[in-house]
Amino acid sequence: MRSWIRSHRWESLLALILIATIVGNTIMAPVYLGVGNIVNLFWLSIEKIIVAVAMAFVIINGEIDLSVASVMGFSAAVLATLHENAVVPFGIAIIIALVVAALAGLIQGLAVTKLGIPSLVVTLAGLIGFRGAARVLLEDGSVGDFPEWFDRLGQRTLVGPLPFGLILFLVLLALGWFVLERTAFGRKVYVTGNNPAVAKYSGINVEWLKLRLLVMSAVVAGVAGILFAARLGSVRGSLAEFYELDIITMVLLGGVSIFGGSGSMLGVALAMFTVLNIRNGMGLANVDGIIQTGVVGTLLIGSALVPNVIQRFRVRFPTVGRYEPDAAEP
Amino acid sequence: MSTSSRRRLRPDRIKELSLFGLIALSVVVFGSVVEGYLSGRFFNRVTTSVVVVVILAVAQSLVIVSRNIDLSVGSIVGVSAYLTADFLQSNAGANPVLAVVIAMAVGAALGAFNGAIVAYGGVPAIIVTLGTLALFRTLVSLYSGGANVTADVLPDWVIELNASTLVSAGGFDLRTTFLVAIGVVVVFQWVLARMRWGRRLYAIGSNPDAAAQAGIPARRLILLSYIGTGSLAGLAGFMFMVRVGTISATAGSGLELESVAAAVVGGVSILGGAGTILGAFLGALLIDTLRLSLVRVPQVSEFWRDAVLGILVLLAVIADSLLSRRLSGRVVDVSAVESATSSTATAVKGAADA
Amino acid sequence: MGELVPVLEMEDISKRFGATRALQDVALQLYPGEVHALVGENGAGKSTLIKIVTGIHSPDTGKMLMAGGEYSPRDPAEAQRQGVAAIYQEPSIFPDLSVAENIFIGHQGRGVLVDHRQMEREAVEVLARLDIELDPALPAGLLSVAGQQAVEIAKAMSLDAKVLIMDEPTAALSAHEVSRLFRQVERLKELGVALLFISHRLGEVFEISDRVSVFRDGHHISTRPTAEVTEESLIREMVGRDPADFFVRNPHPQGEVVLAVSDLGRRGVFDGISFEVRSGEVLGMAGLVGAGRTDVALALFGIAPAESGSIVIDGAEVVISSPRDALRNGIAYLSEDRRRLGLSLPQSITTNVTLATLPRYTSGLGVVDRAAERRDTAAIRERLGILAASLDTPVELLSGGNQQKTMLGRWLNAEPRVLILDEPTRGIDVGAKAEVHRFIDELARAGMAIIMISSDLPEVLAMSDRIAVMREGSLRGIRDRVDADQESVMALAVGVG
Repeated sequence: MRSWIRSHRWESLLALILIATIVGNTIMAPVYLGVGNIVNLFWLSIEKIIVAVAMAFVIINGEIDLSVASVMGFSAAVLATLHENAVVPFGIAIIIALVVAALAGLIQGLAVTKLGIPSLVVTLAGLIGFRGAARVLLEDGSVGDFPEWFDRLGQRTLVGPLPFGLILFLVLLALGWFVLERTAFGRKVYVTGNNPAVAKYSGINVEWLKLRLLVMSAVVAGVAGILFAARLGSVRGSLAEFYELDIITMVLLGGVSIFGGSGSMLGVALAMFTVLNIRNGMGLANVDGIIQTGVVGTLLIGSALVPNVIQRFRVRFPTVGRYEPDAAEP
Repeated sequence: MSTSSRRRLRPDRIKELSLFGLIALSVVVFGSVVEGYLSGRFFNRVTTSVVVVVILAVAQSLVIVSRNIDLSVGSIVGVSAYLTADFLQSNAGANPVLAVVIAMAVGAALGAFNGAIVAYGGVPAIIVTLGTLALFRTLVSLYSGGANVTADVLPDWVIELNASTLVSAGGFDLRTTFLVAIGVVVVFQWVLARMRWGRRLYAIGSNPDAAAQAGIPARRLILLSYIGTGSLAGLAGFMFMVRVGTISATAGSGLELESVAAAVVGGVSILGGAGTILGAFLGALLIDTLRLSLVRVPQVSEFWRDAVLGILVLLAVIADSLLSRRLSGRVVDVSAVESATSSTATAVKGAADA
Repeated sequence: MGELVPVLEMEDISKRFGATRALQDVALQLYPGEVHALVGENGAGKSTLIKIVTGIHSPDTGKMLMAGGEYSPRDPAEAQRQGVAAIYQEPSIFPDLSVAENIFIGHQGRGVLVDHRQMEREAVEVLARLDIELDPALPAGLLSVAGQQAVEIAKAMSLDAKVLIMDEPTAALSAHEVSRLFRQVERLKELGVALLFISHRLGEVFEISDRVSVFRDGHHISTRPTAEVTEESLIREMVGRDPADFFVRNPHPQGEVVLAVSDLGRRGVFDGISFEVRSGEVLGMAGLVGAGRTDVALALFGIAPAESGSIVIDGAEVVISSPRDALRNGIAYLSEDRRRLGLSLPQSITTNVTLATLPRYTSGLGVVDRAAERRDTAAIRERLGILAASLDTPVELLSGGNQQKTMLGRWLNAEPRVLILDEPTRGIDVGAKAEVHRFIDELARAGMAIIMISSDLPEVLAMSDRIAVMREGSLRGIRDRVDADQESVMALAVGVG
């Protein structure tokens, strides 16, 4: 147990913070720990946490996808537009919306792998462009009136207290953890994020890996966007605007390094829960949404700043509380 | 042998000329398609709407050349616009210059916060400024308590400033605000091209390790550049207030993306070390010209604004990467002043030269 | 010629890093207008000495004097101000800035404004003093490695450097560029600069230096005029043993042809490459830097595939268009750039060792069989003698030597039919070289076909069964070991006769 804590320092610290937030919230509102409330907690932000699972892969791989929220909005807009104009049956419309999301990921992925443009820039363009595309489709208005089964799927529980979206999230989380920790694919994601050259020289097809991840990220965003449409019952051009902040915060707070090559799905899961708790707690205390976002922003900075400060502390006081491994030669 | 005679076209000049060409091209194309396009009215529209983004593009370039970024400029605009407007609401008789100073000071303070964490906290700029984008917006929200500052409570000179013209010729007006923007461009183009401080920012972006080895005080310079960016964003906030009048807590939201887009389209490489302020200016101008022109074409709705922007950024970045790839393919070898060599040296030289 | 007053003196310099004593009681003098070579194995203390002189570290004991006055720089910038400059194997320049700006960028006291035209004029002057001609407005990133190095030297000159340290400056240069570099060195000598020249290439040491110092295990062993030493005496002092003790490879029977390459070509890089390698054979590949040997290796390994010709493994023609293809066909490649291409540092030994063979441990669903992984990694650890707390230890915590073994382990685990080693002993001290050579021999004995690319002629001659010599992208000849000697191989490599 102790050695696990030692090698998973970040996750352990996060667990402590999480417990603190739960305790704090429960003191504020004793119903907090009820099943209904916990489910609600996740459900209200289900789209964010679904995308965060995919984002974890992307960032561990050493890339970043700033366009996820815009792709969410765009694919939801495609669905809504197809539905509004009754072009195809609704089920087909969903498929088309997902295909569009995949194409969005493909375009960005190709720009990164074939043209060598940094993912930061490509997905920044995507952030702007796909949001714009959503606005072109929906302009200022909103589209709703979806089939009943769709609304039901998004707004009612499916199995026990769990709505479809939450079940989907749990499946994705478990799947994500498994792939990352136990499969060769996950191994490749880590190594390529840490040192793409070594990966290439070991027979890993780095380009194909990055392309797949960026497409996957966009598809997951597409799924989340459609889920959002079901949950809200209607779609606007501004759907999921600025969500990328929360999503990236969850991943980085979860201990994933922005430089790639390290981090764990467990940490990301803990971070998700923590962020949701904080937002929920602030909501209970009637704190404004914008201020909640500000707190999340502070969390983001803190999650990157604190390890650096600790590192610097370590350099100046190397022996304080440190476990001595085999010494490396200078 | 004189080397200045074979002055080849530097990459920066190529980019600036292409941008200028593109602007000219779009004017020509749209001029032939759209009724009444080549009029003073359109010119005035572009020059007034572009002011805020131009100043922000300059601000953004300051940090991008050193391999950083500032995603919080939109929020800084919001904070400074709101605080300045609020100040004027309570002090109607205040000197306009004081208002500008306040706006820039607020921006500088926020920029310093960014710069301190980036430079001394070792946190990547994208993370810090993504966080302060939210944090600064929170500050406005807290301060405003949800209330807007409406245009009618602002002093008259604010409204007048928006419309004031310094030079006018046949319907083509040079508004004061536009000239201020031009002034900012000129000053900072000069700063980055001719001041040692500016050249060192390029060095930091071009090779951070070599910069450290050369004794360049990178952290201090980066902090200063963020303060500069913040101040300019504050100035942009002032301009925003002048142009828009009614300031809400969400003022300036989204401008950060436009500023990055303008800089990137203008040839300021996101990897640092390259690009010019003039390029960023042209980038902002090109984007705005295209957007306002497209809107004039009846088939295109105004909601194409952002989509066009995204496409432009992507195209600009692709062009930039292709350009740098073609350039790096031409590896230039050192030519030596020929001196007498031994026969072995000639043999070796003959062998290794292809 | 050397004057009697040293420009830089070091007395009783010692430095420890934790338990390691990097330098002990070192004394050294550098004289103006003289090239002072520094040789020694890895770990002898050379780079620690450079770091102390350039201000990156400060010594634990002793002191340094510059022209009589105390010299104790706090950082490289201060060392530069005091006239000490260094250039390294990989040039450190600003690619986006012009040549002129690169030369003058760090300078103090030049005012707030930059006058580009004036700077370019001065740049041309400084370069001319070194017999170099470059367009001062050119972005430095467009220059070749040699060109960038020239800019670095010019930068040092513009700072009125009195001491210039050159750490393995020729490693990335072609022979032509090396001789040009040496011309620049001559000019620097004429200008009275004191030069400290560190190199593993003893041939260059004899060509360019006036005096040579030997370091071993952190001690300064000797300093003598170059004219008074021989290669054997230097090696003996560097190693402390007789060079005749080194590993000598004895030939042994070889098997069938494993790899047959026919008319392999890649436009603009190499063409008409044909050779065979048998099981149990070591085929040495000799040639000058830039001859195309690594390119052929990268073609065989799929990183930069060939455009024409054929590759035949065990009698069957194969197409290799990616490293995966290569590995699947039994070809493995140990790159010469071990620092950058070697290991994924935060990952465990197991992960690094199995990295190239993941398909072997992966079931249909993609799940990794961890037990099998550990089994194989443990076997590799045993075979190579990797010292570590456990197989899960992150590789970054291992010592340099163990890291290298882990890297080799990755390729051994792939059980290749053909192993291509690119400069396997570059940058390794003489003692460890013997160990590597012994291991290569073992591998050959076990039936592996080995291609060994090396620029170290004695090594090539000692280790290879046959020697292929490349020059300018084509194969100039393949000689049997008994028929080859240094002169004939060099002649083929250089193209004389």
